[in-house]
Amino acid sequence: MNETRAGGGADRVDWVAAERSPEFQELRKRKRAFILPATIFFLAWFFGFILLTAYAEDFMAESVYEGLTVGYCLALSQFIMVWVLTAAYLRRADRVFDPLAARAAARAVQPAGGTAPRAGDEVSGR
Amino acid sequence: MTYLAADVNSTALTVFAIVVAVTLVVTYFASKRVATATDFWAAGRGLTGPQNGFAIAGDYMSAASFLGIAGLIYLFGFDGFLYSVGFLVAFLTVLFLLAERMRNSGKFTIADVLSFRLNERPARAAAALGTLSVAGFYLIAQMVGAGVLIEALVGIDFWLSVVLTGGFMIIYIVAGGMLATSWVQIIKAFLLMATAIALTLFVLNEIGWNPIDLFNDAKAKSATPGDYLKPGLFLATPLDTVSLGLGLVLGTAGLPHILMRFFTVPDAKAARSSVGWAVGLIGSFYVMTTAIGFGARAVLGKAGEEAAGEGGNLAAPNLAENLGGGAGTTGGDLFLAVVAAVAFATILAVVAGLVISASGAVAHDVWSNIVRRGRDSEKEEVWVAKIAAVAIGAIAIAIAVIGGEGLNVSFMVGLAFAVAASANFPALLLALTWRRFNTAGAVTGVLFGVISSIALVIISPKVWAGPDSEGGAFSFYDLANPGIISIPLGFIGCWLGTVLSGERETERSFDELYVRSETGLGSEVATGLTLTGRAGRDGRKEEPAAPTPA
Repeated sequence: MNETRAGGGADRVDWVAAERSPEFQELRKRKRAFILPATIFFLAWFFGFILLTAYAEDFMAESVYEGLTVGYCLALSQFIMVWVLTAAYLRRADRVFDPLAARAAARAVQPAGGTAPRAGDEVSGR
Repeated sequence: MTYLAADVNSTALTVFAIVVAVTLVVTYFASKRVATATDFWAAGRGLTGPQNGFAIAGDYMSAASFLGIAGLIYLFGFDGFLYSVGFLVAFLTVLFLLAERMRNSGKFTIADVLSFRLNERPARAAAALGTLSVAGFYLIAQMVGAGVLIEALVGIDFWLSVVLTGGFMIIYIVAGGMLATSWVQIIKAFLLMATAIALTLFVLNEIGWNPIDLFNDAKAKSATPGDYLKPGLFLATPLDTVSLGLGLVLGTAGLPHILMRFFTVPDAKAARSSVGWAVGLIGSFYVMTTAIGFGARAVLGKAGEEAAGEGGNLAAPNLAENLGGGAGTTGGDLFLAVVAAVAFATILAVVAGLVISASGAVAHDVWSNIVRRGRDSEKEEVWVAKIAAVAIGAIAIAIAVIGGEGLNVSFMVGLAFAVAASANFPALLLALTWRRFNTAGAVTGVLFGVISSIALVIISPKVWAGPDSEGGAFSFYDLANPGIISIPLGFIGCWLGTVLSGERETERSFDELYVRSETGLGSEVATGLTLTGRAGRDGRKEEPAAPTPA
């Protein structure tokens, strides 16, 4: 995996075929299955908070416990959401996405047992 | 002590000198290592995830985050905390949509990612325009802020404070490039976290260790106890609050100096783990801004409002002085001096990050790839980068000194975030995800975003505020934050330019960028550069990390 990351062999890749390979499509599908719902959730939770702040001032100032307000609790919930979603993404990326990406990259470089990647090829950033 | 400019605070000066000395030692070590363009702009891609996480935190948390948010909470209660929340949530946008893809497909700048599949010269010109607008507005805001703060806290004149800030920043960049800049940011992040923890503990000690008392004490000491914990004291227009939220959550994902940090790590795994470290640090810090802001209200009360200055920027330093034992005591002087020095380090780290990203746009995008069409040597590119850094620094110093303390800092920061969210973010996101996207789309989108942000901020109440006019230039437009209009306009520009142009070959290059950005295939290699030496060319460092200079 490190070899493909280190840039080898990318100059001889058929990118269209690589994009259509089942390995890449699997990576794409699995990533989207996490990122899309997670993004919708965090935007909804955040803008829910923003809309309440903007339009429900009295509700946000209500006391939950001895002066601790609804607004402050909802604001703190945003912090917890960020930490939980970040941790969940990092875990999933390590366990699921990285191995899939390595497979997709290996397939792209050697579609049918072609040449081995050379380390250190200068290919990107034209 | 007083805050008169004629009174130089020698304790603060001493602490300043220590902080600056440490950063200069780091810069000296870095200067002996940095040779290539990859060293200069990307620190050899040799930073670890945790190191880059600290550097992102140091790059991101400006004086506006520290003194500004604490001041807003002190003055306006709940509304100030909204900024903390937005600034943090924004990192989910960065993590899910950009961090790893930037690392996998870019080299030094935002333009690298765009020009991968688009017609190179117009795409680079558009991205450079976006980068320079954001970095320029943000930089001037930070410089003016630095001048005002140092004048108030240490007693050095405004113009000299600005020149010193700009001068040290130029030294870091020209001598040590991104390697020195990164370590200045790491040191600053340590100092800022330590200071925030100390302030929080002192505040909790003062109010008796029950965090809920903090709210009740703060509320009781407020000028308007009934409204202090309610939204609306600072953000009075509901639609403006929504617009601000939108600008905050998408703006960070278009900040060139933050996105550039993802080029300094060896691979995508390190890029995403650096976001993990960054949200841990930045989130903890922003939670503590409530202790500092509400604490300032509980401790300083109404009496402290005048001394806190416009926007409440001096609330945190005044709180430190009070908690340390009060004005004139050794403890009070020392705590104030430490907070002042940390604020200075904060500004230095942020302006260095901004200028190095701007130098990338000038030297790598405009000079090397547009003017010289990639035919220049790497040595020339680094030279041009250094000249650009000096020139950008000098221009920023000049504008800050000539514009003086009257330049509206919050207006400039708002503008920077608006341009980042409306111009840079749409173009980057669509280049990475939309097959049909093309060069005309990128150019139109960036232009729409930049022009609409600037125009909307110019007609906003922030600029036209005065005794006679409550609103902006036009009575029907009263938004201080343009995001809710300018961000959709940026996306519409991208779409419109794309569909109106016949250019279709970008659809083929999409496959290449897509596969590269998701798999890391063919991504740039680390050079093994660290602060203390250079490991083998395989990008694996022999030692786990450079020693922590803090």
